[in-house]
Amino acid sequence: MSHAESPMAAALTGRVAGDQEVVIERPNGERVAAVVRINLLHAAEGGLVGGAACFEVMEKRPAEQLSDSQSDLEDFFENGVVALHWVGPDGRILRANQAELDLLGYESEEYVGRHIAEFHADRAVIDDLLARLSYHQKLERYPARLRTKSGEIRHVLISSNVYSQDGEFVHTRCFTLDVTERHLAQLDLQESERRSRELLEALPAAVYTTDRNGAITFYNEAAAELWGVRPELGTSYWCGSWRLFWPDGTPVPHDECPMAIALKENRSVRNVEALAERPDGTRVPFMPYPTPLHDAQHRLVGAVNMLIDLTHLKQAHRRQQLLINELNHRVKNTLATIQSIAHQTFTGKADEELKQRFEKRLIALAKTHDILTRGNWRGADIRELISQLIEFACDAGERATVEGPSVLLPQRAVVPLAMAIHELCTNASKYGALTDPAGRIVIEWQCLAGGTRLKLRWAELGGPPVQTPTRRGFGTRLLERGLTHELRADCKLTFQPSGVLFEMDMPLSTATPPT
Amino acid sequence: MVRVLIVEDEALIAMLLEDLVQELGFDGHAYATSNDALAALKTLPFDVAILDVNLGASLSYPVADALAAQGIPFAFATGYGSGGVDPKYRGVTVMRKPIESGALKTVIEQLLNPGIPAAEGA
Repeated sequence: MSHAESPMAAALTGRVAGDQEVVIERPNGERVAAVVRINLLHAAEGGLVGGAACFEVMEKRPAEQLSDSQSDLEDFFENGVVALHWVGPDGRILRANQAELDLLGYESEEYVGRHIAEFHADRAVIDDLLARLSYHQKLERYPARLRTKSGEIRHVLISSNVYSQDGEFVHTRCFTLDVTERHLAQLDLQESERRSRELLEALPAAVYTTDRNGAITFYNEAAAELWGVRPELGTSYWCGSWRLFWPDGTPVPHDECPMAIALKENRSVRNVEALAERPDGTRVPFMPYPTPLHDAQHRLVGAVNMLIDLTHLKQAHRRQQLLINELNHRVKNTLATIQSIAHQTFTGKADEELKQRFEKRLIALAKTHDILTRGNWRGADIRELISQLIEFACDAGERATVEGPSVLLPQRAVVPLAMAIHELCTNASKYGALTDPAGRIVIEWQCLAGGTRLKLRWAELGGPPVQTPTRRGFGTRLLERGLTHELRADCKLTFQPSGVLFEMDMPLSTATPPT
Repeated sequence: MVRVLIVEDEALIAMLLEDLVQELGFDGHAYATSNDALAALKTLPFDVAILDVNLGASLSYPVADALAAQGIPFAFATGYGSGGVDPKYRGVTVMRKPIESGALKTVIEQLLNPGIPAAEGA
């Protein structure tokens, strides 16, 4: 309404007399219905000089209220964001709102009046839907697939019931919720889960997972094979094995197994071994690797465990041990044979001393082999080696001082060093400090340069005066040249009058190339 | 003279043991198989025995059991070390090959006179 048509203008121009109904809009958009009464103002001489307006706000009349609520419902139906339609008893669409038309891409005239089944991708689904509705059943979030105008499939959930009058089917009221995005996301998730499972299945190692309470949620084929049983998902806890033992045969309750510890203490467990017993009684040694799993907030959500079957490793280890034992047996028998040959060779009285010296060297070598065998040929502890050789060759008792840290001599250094020590022992007993009851020997060693060098010192004290030998015998040559040659050691043998002194500085570094 | 039963399948080692035993002043008799040794045990009196554990295809345990039954003291000699002897003979002295004559003397004397403390490293 223009201001020129306002009640005031109408009254002043004489076009309207009496009350006029208007709707006033406030700046905030609120509308108010009012009755305007204009009182015309006249001058004393009777001329019109102006008007006074009196507004009275009107209460709504019931009929108007009804029509308002109808229009509100219309608006709700038409413009609500949820897709809505009505379907008649014959299956034809009676009404559809904009959201529904938008969902399927149709214009109202292309949609309304058609049979609803035309827009469903699955005939059986819509038939079932309609059948249920015809029995006045209420449908809640019934999954269905609709086809859009462009041929796309939309995944929807349909909630519907029937509006009836006097028990008569009038029309349905269908709410259609588009869940295509969610459906696709779910498919993606399922696919990614399927792929992870396939990955875990493909692993030759036994793998299983639990939730944070320890209930088994997944296991692969290799796990079922290792256990010999297929535990029930969700109700089996901690470990799927039939029975569990520590390597020494002590039974392990399932709730104390490494996986249980990993979950209860929220930490990975490593370097433990266990035995799984299958229902058929066979036992599998294995090493578990239980690892807790966390969500983005670092909360414990479960755990994954990988079980490495150690059966073959153990078998190989046993075979290797058997071979080492057999090899040692053969070596020792060969040494015994050589001993026998020597015994048969040195037969005269003049040979007696030679025979004994030879036999002692041979036995020293055999003892060194024993020490190496006990350590699986990885090397020998220098203290054990020196102590045994001194005990065997010197019988020095209290007169020998052996002092130094435990050092694992590299395997290739053991035999040459042992033979050298044996020669020093023999020499001390026959010519050196140990020929005198007051004489002593002091053997000391230490590791230098961060454990890469070994410094050893053999000193004889309190024996008879020493003379430098005129002839370089086996022992002297072995000490001076043999060790230098084979072990890259700096060796110094000094015949001091006060006693023999042997000093050696040998690299221990494993980087030294084997000779 | 003390009679020593020796069971050893390798001829050269058997010869050596006989020699060593003889040099120690005893009378040594070596047999290559358990059956030979068991047959000898039936006819000859022995005071003490040294048994190689592994006799090629078989072990010398039948001889050990026969000796134990007759109350004749014995020791094992083996290239395997004490790990190579059945645990049921736990109390029996085990000598490692090659055997040094000094150690052999100690062991035989100890077997004949159980009162002497066992020698270390025998």
